[in-house]
Amino acid sequence: MAILLRRLGLARLGIDTNSGCTGLYQIDAKVLPAGLKTYEIPPRYDDVIIPEKPKLKFLNKVPNYKKPRRWMKRLGDIRGPAIRANTLTRGEYGIVALGGGYLHWGHFEMMRLTINRKMDPKTMFARWRVNAPYKPITRKGLGQRMGGGKGAIDHYVTPVKYGRVIVEFGGRCAFEEVEPFLSEVAKKLPFPAKAISKKTLEEMLKEDEQKARNNQNPWTFERIATMNMMGIRKVLSPFDLKYHGKFFGKSRVPNRV
Amino acid sequence: MAALWGRSLSCGGWFPPHQIVRHGSKAVTRHRKPMHFLRQKLLAVTEYIPPKPAIPERCIKAPKKEVQEPFGFEKLLRREVEVTFNENKMITVFQNNSIKSEDLKLLRHRLLKHDIRMKFFPNQILRSYLGNTKYRNLLPLFIGHNIIIVSKEPKAKELLQTVRNTTQISLLGACIEDVLFSRQGVVNYSRLPGMQVVRGEIVSGLTLMTSQTCQLLQSGPVHLAALLEQYLKQQSEAATGLKGPESLEQKEIQGSPAS
Repeated sequence: MAILLRRLGLARLGIDTNSGCTGLYQIDAKVLPAGLKTYEIPPRYDDVIIPEKPKLKFLNKVPNYKKPRRWMKRLGDIRGPAIRANTLTRGEYGIVALGGGYLHWGHFEMMRLTINRKMDPKTMFARWRVNAPYKPITRKGLGQRMGGGKGAIDHYVTPVKYGRVIVEFGGRCAFEEVEPFLSEVAKKLPFPAKAISKKTLEEMLKEDEQKARNNQNPWTFERIATMNMMGIRKVLSPFDLKYHGKFFGKSRVPNRV
Repeated sequence: MAALWGRSLSCGGWFPPHQIVRHGSKAVTRHRKPMHFLRQKLLAVTEYIPPKPAIPERCIKAPKKEVQEPFGFEKLLRREVEVTFNENKMITVFQNNSIKSEDLKLLRHRLLKHDIRMKFFPNQILRSYLGNTKYRNLLPLFIGHNIIIVSKEPKAKELLQTVRNTTQISLLGACIEDVLFSRQGVVNYSRLPGMQVVRGEIVSGLTLMTSQTCQLLQSGPVHLAALLEQYLKQQSEAATGLKGPESLEQKEIQGSPAS
């Protein structure tokens, strides 16, 4: 910090000058403020290695299937929380999905272009945490009547569940620098998403845990559903038994304990 | 609504009595699917209720006074202050009324010729440090802009002469050899003669009485001796017959007021 002050020109190293200041770091500023400003030591990013290709790589519109087969809808790949990639592994910051949905090539291009434009490749790097689109979505031609078989493959998408990290970001930067453009990207995604850092993610999980512990309500969804009180299982599904009413369809119901 | 009656399975399980066969959309839809009323009721009943103690926490918990550990620079400055106050015999505090930096430089130069140094310290640190030491009576001086002028030898006279021409700084107080002085006190201190002279004065003052004793003891016989001498002189003169009895009386009159 004393070095910082020397650089700012406020303090002089007493050894160099001949004007006879006895102290090592004599304050030369003639007007000294009432309090003493303390400077926070800025964080050091010594252990951060920026890889060779820091920008987001181009992802294909169509995967390399030898024989592209049509798949069933399988809407369950959007339902519920993500188990696979829900923590930040390589970078400090990222975009996390707060709902389920499909990402298609347009979304990928938008993300790639925006992030590659806004980031500084010398000090930051970004990595995809979702696969290139692989799930075929079929569409029937315009004006077709019902029946006549399944439609042809129109495009490919990537399914994303709640809690999945989409893009990871890292480098010698603070969250405040990175948050603007990451949240810009997050707003344009087809599901609710937000820019996070490791700390904010931890806080989110902690809050959920705390809520579950502090809850004063003796009646919980879990209790009523598992005991089938009032025959409520007539309107609930086995999915609700597993996830205790936190998810409904592809969205997460907020403030559910 | 078509429904199946409940029946038990061979493996020992059972189906619920009413199974709904037909329903509307799938579980995952693009639009916001309306929840069944019973499910809505269930969610309403099982909402999160935060803990609410009888006395809120904020009434009981004392506000945490963050005791900030002194930062590196602060520690450094404290050490500087300590060193300054230990090494220098004369510590004077001047009020700094916006002296120009060039004037300050000149003043500094002039003071350095007499080996007197100027020090600037933040008041916060001075107050926090001096409050615990023997200099705590100097605390009221360290309010507002001030300069501390220190020197190893107590050269009050040179200091006052050098500072006399600068109107922008004025002496507030001083601590010279662990004795506090006000402005007038410093002026008086500067007027004091040097150590040797003072010592000589003390010695002479102490020995004044003793020096007088000798004189006092000797005064009686000395006076008697003088009178006798005079008398002898008169006798010798009378013997010569130059002076009459008037001169003897004159001498006697002269002699009595003298004794």
